[in-house]
Amino acid sequence: MRRLIPPLLAGIFLLVFQATFLSFFPIQRIRPDLLLIFTLYLAFLFPPISGGILAFFLGYLMDLFSGNALGLYTFSRPLVFFAAQLLRERFYLEGFAFRFLFAFLISLSEGILISVLINALQPIPLGSFYPSFFTCLIPQAFFTGLVTPLLFFVFRKGSPFLSRQSEQRIEEGEYRP
Amino acid sequence: MFALVLMSLRAKQRKGVEFFDVLLMEVCSPLEKASTLVIKTVQRTFQEHVFLVNVEKENRTLKRKVAELQEENRRMVEMKLANERLKRLLQFREETPLSMIGAEVIGQDPSSWFKSVTVDKGEKDGVKKGMAVICSAGIIGQILKTAPDYATVLLITDYNSAVDSVVQRTRAKAIVEGKGENRCQLKYLLRTEEVEVGDAVVTSGLGGNFPKGLMVGEVKKVDKKGHGVFQYAELVPSVDMTKLEEVFVIMEPLRSSLPQEEKVKKGKKGKK
Repeated sequence: MRRLIPPLLAGIFLLVFQATFLSFFPIQRIRPDLLLIFTLYLAFLFPPISGGILAFFLGYLMDLFSGNALGLYTFSRPLVFFAAQLLRERFYLEGFAFRFLFAFLISLSEGILISVLINALQPIPLGSFYPSFFTCLIPQAFFTGLVTPLLFFVFRKGSPFLSRQSEQRIEEGEYRP
Repeated sequence: MFALVLMSLRAKQRKGVEFFDVLLMEVCSPLEKASTLVIKTVQRTFQEHVFLVNVEKENRTLKRKVAELQEENRRMVEMKLANERLKRLLQFREETPLSMIGAEVIGQDPSSWFKSVTVDKGEKDGVKKGMAVICSAGIIGQILKTAPDYATVLLITDYNSAVDSVVQRTRAKAIVEGKGENRCQLKYLLRTEEVEVGDAVVTSGLGGNFPKGLMVGEVKKVDKKGHGVFQYAELVPSVDMTKLEEVFVIMEPLRSSLPQEEKVKKGKKGKK
């Protein structure tokens, strides 16, 4: 349980950064989702149970500070975590292009899932919602993908603080986010 | 001997040997000129290069001072702007008969799908879920979640937001629904209603959260194409949701938020 605290604190820090500093960008739609990138990174560091719990809490934090009363991120972030864990063994994820594509596709998939859930849970379908696919979802997924290789590098530098396990994995040569 | 001869000549004729004087002057003057040039060059070199150590220091000090003054100037401008903003808010507060509490926006929505802000007032200050949040330019949203010291405000531009409103000029009723990206749409606006671009939309007071007559926004687009009972109208909120800094939370419930005049009238009627 104690080893979950450092990544949780890092998640809170990233959330605050995302909700304050990144909000000063004049164009909101290009704001990358740092917590999503962090969740993807955790998929390389943590085993399914503890990582799943972390992803759940990170999603819960997102829901807590957003205007979303349904808990959509609490639902979607563990799914993102498990999807990333599933994919990391099957796909080559070295280099800028592959990491970009990985984060872009995951971000896009999560966005589609959330938009479908929002519309499904509304008593009346939101007619004006789907145009935001192009104006909001794709640009955001693109910029999230663009930032991912850089943030993976930063997280990798700070991974000894995030998890002791990562240190072991690095030593054993297993760790390759 | 030569000197004595020269002295004698000078004493007798009261003048020097012209040829000799000229010769000497012609020989010495270039040397003098060269010497002066060297001295001046050295002097200039010292002034322009060696003594510049101090000038460089002075320059650094001045640059620091300029930076400090610029920073001070920026602070003053920021204070001036904040002062103007707060003055407007205070004026609005004094003019409005509603009981309100001021709050500062401390964070935006971390996700891109939803539109909300976090404010620095919570349950300890009496803030409750569903309370209306406004500013001098118009309505902003309503309280969605509360914590002891903080609260989340759902903005009217969010997809989940709906505010019962009327078009000020024609009194046509509609629901203002969020469309994201600082835009809203008027839903259930009857096709028979005359609505034009530029019409102001205000709260109807029927929703239960917002008092009547608060500015919501301005109609930007009206579309009567197609069939159906309703027409389509787009609205731009009167408040720029991307630049929120200070807001007011309306504290009292809607029932008791009637304007003072009406309260006075009611009071008089009661007395009669």
